[in-house]
Amino acid sequence: MQRAAIHDLETLRERLKAALDQAPGSAKGVVQTGSELTRPRRASPAATGIDGQEVTNDLGRFVLQEHVFDYRATHGTFPLDHLLSMPAQWIGDVSQGRADPAAVDRWAYLDTETTGLAGGTGTCAFLVGVGSVEESGFRVRLFFMRDYDEEGAMLHGLARHLARFDVLFTYNGKSFDVPLLETRYRMQRQRNPLAALGHVDLLHPARRLWSARMPNCRLATLEAAILGFARHGDIPGSLIPQRYFDFLRTRHGAPLGPVFHHNVRDILSLACLGSVVMSSYSDPDNAPLRHGLDIMGLASWLGKDRRDKAALCLYRKAVRAGLPSSALELCLLEAARIERRAGNHAAKVELLQDLSRIGGDHCVTALEWLAKHYEHIARDFARALEHTWAAQQHGESDELSHREGRLLRRIAADRARASRRAVSADPT
Amino acid sequence: MPSPENLSIDALRPPRHLARKRAGPISPPDKSLSGVIERFEALQQRTESPIAAIRRRPAQEARYADMPEAIDRHLRQALAKRGIERLYVHQAQSWDHVAARENVVVVTPTASGKTLCYNLPVLNALAADPSMCALYLFPTKALAVDQLEEFNALGGVLGSEIRAYTYDGDTPSDARRAIRRRANVVLSNPDMLHAGVLPHHTRWARFFEHLRFIVIDELHTYRGVFGSHLANVLRRLKRIAAFYGSEPRFVCCSATIANPKELSELLAEEPFSLVSENGAPSGEKFFVFYNPPVVNRQLGIRRSYINEARRMAQTFLDRGRQTLVFTNNRLATEVLTRYLKEGVGRRAGGSAAVRGYRGGYLPRERREIERQLREGEILGVVSTNALELGIDVGSLDAVVLAGYPGSIASTWQRAGRAGRRSAESVSVLVASSAPLDQYIVEHPEFFFDSSPERAYINADNLEILISHLKCAAFELPVAEGETFGPHPTRELCRFLEETGVLHRAGNAWHWTSEAYPADAISLRKVSSDNFVVVDVTDGSRVVGEVSFPAALTTLHEKAIYIHEGTLYHVDRFEYDERKAYVRRVECGYYTDAIEHTHVKALETFDGAGLGPAQANHGEIRLTRRVVGFKKIRFYTNENVGDGKLAMPEQEMHTTAFWLHFPMDFLDTLPHATTEKRDGLIGLGRVLRTVGAVMLMSDPRDVGVSTLHSHQGPNALLDPEIFLFDNYPGGIGHSEPLYRLRHSLGARAKELLEACQCKSGCPSCVGAPGELGPKAKEVAMQLASALAASVPEQCAA
Repeated sequence: MQRAAIHDLETLRERLKAALDQAPGSAKGVVQTGSELTRPRRASPAATGIDGQEVTNDLGRFVLQEHVFDYRATHGTFPLDHLLSMPAQWIGDVSQGRADPAAVDRWAYLDTETTGLAGGTGTCAFLVGVGSVEESGFRVRLFFMRDYDEEGAMLHGLARHLARFDVLFTYNGKSFDVPLLETRYRMQRQRNPLAALGHVDLLHPARRLWSARMPNCRLATLEAAILGFARHGDIPGSLIPQRYFDFLRTRHGAPLGPVFHHNVRDILSLACLGSVVMSSYSDPDNAPLRHGLDIMGLASWLGKDRRDKAALCLYRKAVRAGLPSSALELCLLEAARIERRAGNHAAKVELLQDLSRIGGDHCVTALEWLAKHYEHIARDFARALEHTWAAQQHGESDELSHREGRLLRRIAADRARASRRAVSADPT
Repeated sequence: MPSPENLSIDALRPPRHLARKRAGPISPPDKSLSGVIERFEALQQRTESPIAAIRRRPAQEARYADMPEAIDRHLRQALAKRGIERLYVHQAQSWDHVAARENVVVVTPTASGKTLCYNLPVLNALAADPSMCALYLFPTKALAVDQLEEFNALGGVLGSEIRAYTYDGDTPSDARRAIRRRANVVLSNPDMLHAGVLPHHTRWARFFEHLRFIVIDELHTYRGVFGSHLANVLRRLKRIAAFYGSEPRFVCCSATIANPKELSELLAEEPFSLVSENGAPSGEKFFVFYNPPVVNRQLGIRRSYINEARRMAQTFLDRGRQTLVFTNNRLATEVLTRYLKEGVGRRAGGSAAVRGYRGGYLPRERREIERQLREGEILGVVSTNALELGIDVGSLDAVVLAGYPGSIASTWQRAGRAGRRSAESVSVLVASSAPLDQYIVEHPEFFFDSSPERAYINADNLEILISHLKCAAFELPVAEGETFGPHPTRELCRFLEETGVLHRAGNAWHWTSEAYPADAISLRKVSSDNFVVVDVTDGSRVVGEVSFPAALTTLHEKAIYIHEGTLYHVDRFEYDERKAYVRRVECGYYTDAIEHTHVKALETFDGAGLGPAQANHGEIRLTRRVVGFKKIRFYTNENVGDGKLAMPEQEMHTTAFWLHFPMDFLDTLPHATTEKRDGLIGLGRVLRTVGAVMLMSDPRDVGVSTLHSHQGPNALLDPEIFLFDNYPGGIGHSEPLYRLRHSLGARAKELLEACQCKSGCPSCVGAPGELGPKAKEVAMQLASALAASVPEQCAA
């Protein structure tokens, strides 16, 4: 194409502004003018006002910031010394055997702050925090790149640090932090250190325990409700990318302070919630859960993993702790399901009868289960039919009318058989 | 009553012959196609016959080449099992080019075995190296699905190690991970590559590391805006491939266009070898141009082309011939489907023998229709362009094109659906009254004989380029000194740094925005801003969609909107919502928007004399505003009222070709000033029509604006006619228009001469009443003056 060559920035700027301003549907105002157009000057690292030490490795430099928390302290109401006393086997339990048991000082709690949530290769983790149990206390190390050209050195430093661990803890890391870091290592042509670690993403177990009671299972929600930790002056996550972009342009480190702080809090909450989750799962008798719904969440989690005895225990405990009515019904139904699986029919029938008397959402299910019980287990067709009819009071279904028909036939057949017996027994 | 067989042919005759025929003896039903052709030929002899042309293409024998020695033994056996012992010459030639490590573009007609041109080298490479990967790009998802089956049919023989998958918007998310991990061949489309693959290339690391071939099928579809985008997507693709250390080669296939080699080189920015010698056999083939008879000469109104297309299709269906009817829009598809279902309803197979096919149908439904067509279960299908591309539907006997598809390539592509290998077949083009249709049907030699069209793109459209550079920076930081395509990136990156989306660190520019830039760019739409027309007469029903620029002139408040012959009054025009609420009315007038257009030439790239005028091309700024409308009575075209409108002003920078007419020359014409003005406007419209034909572009891609002699800052300025790219920044039409300026004048003259109207009609300068009675005459004089100019030696 014979086009005017694009060599002169002034012309280009004019033409682009014109093109972008009038394109239908294009976001106007993308082109900023005024003071922000001034080209940023690169300040020396020391001048940025960011705490921490500058680390130099084969690939360059980055900043490492450390925070240590005494075990005598608490995070919210959670005593930090609990973090020291977790058995290695808990890792095997909570990960369902996907991660090998490892001593507590081989666990790394990781969280990233990124330049966006969009994903893809254009999103960076500019700050990676790693918390771990050490003799001196719970230590959080923050790996920070002061600019994009420090990413390689920062990731390299992070990889070296992670080499001392066996297990990685994250919150939603499975779909966010881990793939993001994988991408970053790939982009920097470095080996991904995460591949060598077992991974426990606490989001999913946390959902099992708390989704019934909580409006959402975000870390900030849970730390407030479960750990009693209140954040003061915290920066909303949505503002973090822009803070970093501003820092790149201005080199003023102070506005990033809350971002570092935010990351450290996240890691502490992650570690403490991990302890609550794992102790509940591995040692349900002593689970640090008080609310009925939470206990029920744990019961249903254990039930899914076929730990029936413990689950039943917890369902009872949940009922005692108090449940909203709909949850109570569900609790009875789940308990009945476990009793049925165990062949404890008497206990099952008792639970189902309770449930059918409550008359709530699960009443029909209870009546159907009772009908099945009387038809197939107790072989009391008349009672089975009674329960079928009772269920039909709440609404017809093909399955119910099927059952009804079959029961009527069986009852008729029984009567015929009985009368035949009566006839053949008749001496006349 | 005449027999059903005769009915439809009779319908082609002027009505007065009907009576005589009815009285005549009923001839035995003639089921052959040659019978139909003979009757067309007889009809053509009549004066003012609607048959504008009949062309016969004799049958062609197959030309073979031996199977190349280098082909893997198992692959050879697999081919033999499918009856392929030798290759057609074009298949062998493309094999040779690929073997010589060249990029190759293959140009042969529909159903000539193009697929093997790329499947053969890819499968052979896979036989040698099972870890190798290839990316196939198709313009539609349906084609990818179709070609997957084709690939697997052949690839299956090489063992289960070879894994080919489609990867597009329909791919379930749980399957995507497995595909990324395992696929050898990924069949996708440019949109998915752009928004779903490249921005996540690290997940595709294995695939890119082993990427050896990029196959682009249906290359000719990538022209204009779409092509300009694809060229930039390919720049990004090559950049990512290089990051993973691979340098894939291209194998492209195209329908017949004039410049396949140039187009592939513009798209991929690499040298290509061309294979254009077709070795596939074909049966005898007829192509008929049909122009519906004129019913009102003064207004230039012809019989409805939809009805005529229906009758034509009925003729073939009645003879039990498998027929495919192509329309240019969804509505026409539905209408014709209904008509034809009714038409065959009384006969064997019933109405189920005819089905519709278009984009809105579910994929499963479409697969079923394709299969039914292939297996002869159904007799007729009415389709939009959805069936134009290479989906395998088997051989058909007849194709009816309801309206000119807009380009010669599309027309051949659609006509190619008839008669795949050995049988006799026929295609009929039924022209609508649109200027482009009329030009084509009245100039059959243009379509059949002149050199075919060229496809243009402008990969360097600044807006498109910069959007993709953003995506590129998102994918990989842009290094200092790096080029994007042929362009140094330094200034562009500095510009993007100023807008805040890039940041320079080390020796590279990095993406510093939370946004995912690919989401903001659609590869296909000029603008996604279509207006929806909602009929609120009873309830509310969407009756149509109108593009952004057209909406401002046809859907403003109080406009009469005409849709398939029905009149609607626009009650409410919601600019922000992009909606117009209309109500069905019966009224004796239509409306014509008064649009003030202002064009300012910003920069002239080149200029030369053209007869008495001066031709230029360059960059312009276009300002448009609808300021009011006129109410015009039907038939008499009296102006029966007007209204004022306050519509938002639209501004656009684009490229244009323009003609400058000096007043000195215009003064020599013996016409009044207003007549000259009308003549210039008329000529502008004609130039746009023939320009679109020559550029092989959608007529809507080229806009026209005529500036009359107007008051400049110091003096009265001369009139100018602008043909501009209807896309911000231009998509590469202006420069070729400038190059073709000599034929442009000549063709404009031809069009005017051939048009049968007396003083202008919608098919040439515009409807009578719109312009004065002298418009056509003046336009003709101006066109003759342009045509008289002799091309200078240097014009390339």
